Amino acid sequence: MPKIPRLAQLVLVIGGIYAGFWLIFDLLLGQPIPASLMRMYMFFVVTGVLMVFTATEESTRQLVDPIRALVEEPGRRLMRNVVFFVVPGLAAVAVFLQMQPSDEAPLELRSIHPAPPSSAKIFGKRYDLMSLENPYRHLEKDDPEQFRELVTDGGEVYIRNCQYCHGDKLDGKGPYAQGLNPVPLNFQDIGTIAQLQESFLFWRIATGGPGLPKEATPWISSMPAWQEFLSEEQIWQVILYLYDYTGHQPRSWGHE
Amino acid sequence: MATPKFKVGAFQARGGVDQGGLPVLRQYLRLIVIFLTVVLGFMSRPAFPAGDAEKGEEIYAQRCTLCHGEEGDGMGPAAERLNPPPRDFTMAQYKIRTTAFEEIVPVDSDLVRMIHDGMPSTAMPGWGDVLTEQDINDLVAFLKTLAGLEEEEPGQVIDYGAQVPISPESIETGRKLFHQDDRCSECHGQAGKGDAVKKLKDDSGYRTWPRNLTKPWTFRGSNDPRDIFTRITTGIAGTQMPSFDDPASDGRLSIEQRWNIANYVNSLAKTEKIVRPENTVIRATRLAGPVPVTPDDPQWQEAPSSTFLLVPQLIAAERFFTPSNDTITVRALYNQDEIGFHVEWDDRTRSIPGDRAAKKVSEPGLGEDAVAIQLPVKIPTGPEKPYFLHGDSRHPVNLWSWRSGSTTEDPSVALVTARGIADKIVRDASTVGLQGRGSYHEGTWQVVLRRPLTTVGSAEDLQFVEGAFIPVAFSAWDGSNGERGSAHTLTTWYWLLLKPEPGNKPWLFAGFAFVLILLLEIWWARTAMRRVRS
Ligand code: HEC
Ligand code: HEC
Ligand code: HEC
Repeated sequence: MPKIPRLAQLVLVIGGIYAGFWLIFDLLLGQPIPASLMRMYMFFVVTGVLMVFTATEESTRQLVDPIRALVEEPGRRLMRNVVFFVVPGLAAVAVFLQMQPSDEAPLELRSIHPAPPSSAKIFGKRYDLMSLENPYRHLEKDDPEQFRELVTDGGEVYIRNCQYCHGDKLDGKGPYAQGLNPVPLNFQDIGTIAQLQESFLFWRIATGGPGLPKEATPWISSMPAWQEFLSEEQIWQVILYLYDYTGHQPRSWGHE
Repeated sequence: MATPKFKVGAFQARGGVDQGGLPVLRQYLRLIVIFLTVVLGFMSRPAFPAGDAEKGEEIYAQRCTLCHGEEGDGMGPAAERLNPPPRDFTMAQYKIRTTAFEEIVPVDSDLVRMIHDGMPSTAMPGWGDVLTEQDINDLVAFLKTLAGLEEEEPGQVIDYGAQVPISPESIETGRKLFHQDDRCSECHGQAGKGDAVKKLKDDSGYRTWPRNLTKPWTFRGSNDPRDIFTRITTGIAGTQMPSFDDPASDGRLSIEQRWNIANYVNSLAKTEKIVRPENTVIRATRLAGPVPVTPDDPQWQEAPSSTFLLVPQLIAAERFFTPSNDTITVRALYNQDEIGFHVEWDDRTRSIPGDRAAKKVSEPGLGEDAVAIQLPVKIPTGPEKPYFLHGDSRHPVNLWSWRSGSTTEDPSVALVTARGIADKIVRDASTVGLQGRGSYHEGTWQVVLRRPLTTVGSAEDLQFVEGAFIPVAFSAWDGSNGERGSAHTLTTWYWLLLKPEPGNKPWLFAGFAFVLILLLEIWWARTAMRRVRS
């Protein structure tokens, strides 16, 4: 079997990784990686692959030899002249394209679950979020019947206020979800409420988007500040409903 | 929102939102998967395993009561905030069915389909992703008991005859039938946008709107000619959409006529009004001449358009739950002096306070139609922007608005600086040269708002610059739908880009790069040759 030259191998590996990105994100997931991010990824890929290919002196030599031969062997003059013309040509095209004004939207990075403050002012009162607990949670064991009633009440609060965005299946796909950026969170996902304490939810629901710290871009979150529309009891009830419907368990201090 | 149902050419859209990417390829992948599922499905089990009503009741209690009510009467706690309201199952009225007009019993597969796929543009979601086929059959069995249909034989499916294939001739015949004696246009409007001149209510007294036939992604069924044929044949139960195969009516149409109309309705889709989620930038095009003043100037059509979803204002102050406007399409043009926005949205009613005809189709309290463009006073330098709902105390926004006027007042343009929904200062639009003009035609508003790129001596107004990404958002009011003040629809922040001409800079730098690299190569080659020789 003829051996593929090292230089060609290098190009193939980098090209393969690039194609892989494209295949997975563009084609299968339908979520193309923004160009600026892609450039960053590819920079790391190229440096990484170069490091592997030049790990030993032997491998470096295999990589460099054909290039050196091209420049030094008089017999390859023609080939050299062609390459020497094509390389700056490609560079010129790249520069030209780069200089075109970009019309790609700027990237907006945000932290989804920022660290909550240790205490927060909600309903005009100060709450210590480190020790706050759902006052109804204990009923799950102590009075299951009353607990079910509270869950049902929470369901009513949810369907009248939250389903437009978070969806009646709690999957973040409410009727208006697609018109919002960032999108409403999916509570079925194990990455949201299943990771959180009820006190965190209480703070998030009561203070909404405007209550977020800077790293979580409060200015674009459409999550309403529910202390304006709901009572404290209703917020605790809707929290019961979120966990009950999805079957997730809230994180508790005891587990850590 | 419900699963994809709308097909035009090679792409599928969901709720009017194109899923983007490489539609054709993914479409094929999806087709293959669907094909395999169907084939395997047929091999492994009977088509319709019988449902168990008792199991269905349990699932219903868990998943459906909050909307359809514990008794199945549609009176769940959500009802008053939804339009259309959740269905009352005790009435045995199903909108999407394949059994003839005079039958009340649907076939099970009709109900299975609606539960599985959901109903676009309503709160009714598709349950296919969380419920199994058996669950859905159990639900169907239970729903039938609510209307006392459990003992009934399934109804007779309508006669489809021989389908007339889509062709220009068939569409033309359909067009004539659609307009003949105002047969369909009476409710659906001349252009099919549902811009009724009639106020329609369903059997329970809720307001209904004739469908906007140019936006097939809002159809409860789909815009496949076969589906449209079915709707025309059976009518839409409980609403004023009539059956055109009712033996008792003299409006009865032949099978062939119905196929022709179906083909015509299918051809009405306005695909440029589909929302493409990746299209978040309005690219303003630079003109050499003046920015057009009137909304119907053909120059606007040459600018690239972006369509955004309108979301009801559910977030602050007095909230609003039952919108009628659903999307807004925006274009922008500019020259060295000024910028103009062209915004366009389908609104079924032209709302003119004081006008008797307008009052007849309006909800109580007819107000003006209006639109507003929101821009930051300062272009953000970092990621921080003004709060998307009318700014905040540290980041004011400009609101440019246009209102449609009344019988006694002309349309008007207003300029507001807002620092939050409750902190708004109305200013004189003419001091900064803000001007606007609107026109209404067959169910669509088009409005142009223009302003000089820069204003003198004003720290309260945005100064436009080329090449910067400027946040921009929109709001709209349908005055016939009770929309006024904070009750309206809105978009989140998108981007505006005044795309400058690149000039000759790219050429210069490209040439420089070429020469530089070539010189380096020559130097390298010469030193190499020298080394070889020595
Ligand atoms: C107008 C749309 C909208 C409505 C209505 C809405 N939300 Fe949200 N919600 C969002 C968005 C968008 C996010 C994600 C951005 C963020 O974190 O603020 C979010 C985030 C959340 C989070 C944070 C989850 C996490 O993992 O950090 C919780 C909890 C939440 N919403 C609960 C609710 C509840 C309960 C209601 C009803 C009382 C509700 N939301 C109504 C839009 C909405
Ligand atoms: C968020 C509210 C909501 C929930 C939850 C919901 N629905 Fe609906 N459903 C609606 C609305 C609204 C309509 C009426 C749509 C219309 O009239 O265009 C509807 C209509 C229907 C229809 C009538 C279909 C037709 O052809 O007319 C059926 C059947 C139905 N729903 C079944 C269910 C079942 C079964 C469940 C539970 C698994 C369920 N729905 C859960 C809101 C909901
Ligand atoms: C008396 C008024 C009226 C007339 C006449 C009328 N429609 Fe409709 N149509 C309606 C209403 C109202 C609806 C929406 C019903 C609802 O609320 O779901 C509708 C809905 C529809 C739909 C949407 C189906 C779906 O899947 O959502 C189609 C297609 C349609 N009509 C076609 C026609 C055609 C074609 C004609 C003429 C042959 C016609 N209509 C005549 C009132 C009318």
